[in-house]
Amino acid sequence: MEERPKPPLAGIVYGDFAYWIAIAGMIIGIIGIVLYLGGVHQFIDARFLLSQLWSGKTAPEIWKMATGKMVHGHWYLHKLSYSDAIAMLGVGICCLSAVFGMWAACITMLTSKGKIGTLFFILAATVTVILTLSALGIISLHH
Amino acid sequence: MIKKGFLIFLILIFSAVTAYAAEVAQQTTGMNPVLFFFIFLIVCIIIGIFAVLAGVGGGVIFTPVMMGFTPIDSFIVRATGLFVAMSGALVAARPFLRRGIANIKILFWSAAPYAVCCVIGALLAGYVKATMGIKGEAFVRGALGLLVIGIGLLFIFAGKRIEYPEVENVDSFTERIGLAMAYWEESLKTVVDYKVKNSHIALLLFCGTGLISGFFGLGAGWAMVPVFNLVMLAPLKVAATCSKVLIGIGDTAAIWPYIMAGGIFPLFAVPCMIGLIVGTLIGAKIMLKVKAGFVRWIIIVIMFFAGIRLILKAIKLWGMA
Repeated sequence: MEERPKPPLAGIVYGDFAYWIAIAGMIIGIIGIVLYLGGVHQFIDARFLLSQLWSGKTAPEIWKMATGKMVHGHWYLHKLSYSDAIAMLGVGICCLSAVFGMWAACITMLTSKGKIGTLFFILAATVTVILTLSALGIISLHH
Repeated sequence: MIKKGFLIFLILIFSAVTAYAAEVAQQTTGMNPVLFFFIFLIVCIIIGIFAVLAGVGGGVIFTPVMMGFTPIDSFIVRATGLFVAMSGALVAARPFLRRGIANIKILFWSAAPYAVCCVIGALLAGYVKATMGIKGEAFVRGALGLLVIGIGLLFIFAGKRIEYPEVENVDSFTERIGLAMAYWEESLKTVVDYKVKNSHIALLLFCGTGLISGFFGLGAGWAMVPVFNLVMLAPLKVAATCSKVLIGIGDTAAIWPYIMAGGIFPLFAVPCMIGLIVGTLIGAKIMLKVKAGFVRWIIIVIMFFAGIRLILKAIKLWGMA
């Protein structure tokens, strides 16, 4: 019988990190949205948000009408007592899962024995930096 | 027969729910958020089921359908489209990487240009939104309409895939990089040791794919699988799994500029995410039991219909500008 090839550890580590962090984010997001739909401490009133979404209002228009100003960045981190901010935190964690996964994969590539080559480490590190800059808001639409 | 009937039943529900949503959209003030949540949950479950049965990602159907059939702003729909495509891909990636079917070398090779161009696409989307106003909105909808019709035509005329492509002459550039890897193929009970070629051409194609994905908020499996399978000549399974993992990485880079610009609202994003993931899981189960070739045609018709609606909306918006 042929010997099964061993998958690279960096790939497994990326997959595991991305999967579990995404699942955690989704659970938090669902908890947040259940509270939000239950009317618990809403940062933006759900009915108002819905009417604005359905009337085709843009994101800046909705934010300005709902909160008086346009939000930028990780607004939800400062509003975690609100149910919609908790839901948004879940969305944020879900979106961070690949960032953490790539960091873990890069560290694994550096430290594990079965290395897959310098070129691939450089490529992985480049992607990790791009994801991190993007998540930090350094690469952003806001000027 | 019963299963085919079940699918037709799903189509009817989808049509009814969409029609109801459109009707409710006319009376915005009295709409109940819980009702909204469940309508979108059901619509997205059905999109997820059809997407799997048709062999495409949910993201590529979600964005044109939502932009074509709901009044929600295109920037918010695109942000949510990226989010649902990304979250589905992140959950699906783990087993492919654990079994070594997704080639991590090919992944990192393609992830770098894809992620960079995805971010550029997302930034361009924001720029168009901020500077071009209604004309920008018309441009986005019209371009997406044409793109969606193009994807539909791609499904019809270039749907050919090769399970195990034969690679005769590997170019020296690809040979030097060493992208090839072997994996265990459970269905054949053997090791599949494959080669790939044209990695430099693929690099350029991934730049274009990333740009489109980031700008329009689409999952890009429809473009990535042919690049892996028909240009690089990777086995179909490797192509499909690499594409799934890559969407998770690249769309993460693109989603953040949208989030930072306040384009994600959990009330819309969360039911769509749950719906698409649940629909994908249900679709995968149904796929094992039913031959659903006709679903592919339904998806093609929906894409043409959505494409035409988007172009008509674009013309109307352009006239208003």
